[in-house]
Amino acid sequence: MAPLDLTAVLKDAPVGEWIALSCAQDRIVATAKTLAEAVRAAHQKGEEHPVVMKVPAVSSLIL
Amino acid sequence: MRFPYTVFPARPDAAFPDRQTISRPILTVTLERGELSIAAFAIVDSGADNCLFPASLAIQLGIAIPNQNTYVFSGTAEQGQIAYFETVQATVWNGNRGERPLRFQLYAGFCDTLEHIGMGLLGQQGFFSRFKVHFVQPENFFELS
Repeated sequence: MAPLDLTAVLKDAPVGEWIALSCAQDRIVATAKTLAEAVRAAHQKGEEHPVVMKVPAVSSLIL
Repeated sequence: MRFPYTVFPARPDAAFPDRQTISRPILTVTLERGELSIAAFAIVDSGADNCLFPASLAIQLGIAIPNQNTYVFSGTAEQGQIAYFETVQATVWNGNRGERPLRFQLYAGFCDTLEHIGMGLLGQQGFFSRFKVHFVQPENFFELS
């Protein structure tokens, strides 16, 4: 199965900021310092169902 | 229901100088509480005892934190962390119109210490306790049943 590859979408994503992706997860709709701001900006741009995430400062996660 | 692994960009470092990407078992989870909802990524994490999300998601769902449902836990760091739990509706779906979305009630924790990760964790209690999870990492997918 082909993985869902977000490398191109997130290539220039700002580290440490919240990102609102399109519902199809193929582009960044909005970025902001807070989740609420990112969601609000996405809604203003017509994306009713954004998918949110944050770009961590460190690539690797051991949780 | 089958889901692909998700590939994220990664910066090479001394231990992994050739690494450009990291592949993770990620689900897009829509959390709902009343009329409020938010869709976010969550790592399917068999090493997590519970299901946890960044505190910012609680705010989007109208969940007031701190609340009384506190839970103290630790990760790789010794220092204790606090999560505040609330029951929400969760939905995951692979987008295949031939399959119905998986919708379930989830007692989820919200914590400040996941803010820097910006993703949730789907752990043993509430997720692995509900679904059989089959990882097939060499073929880039995992399945829930």
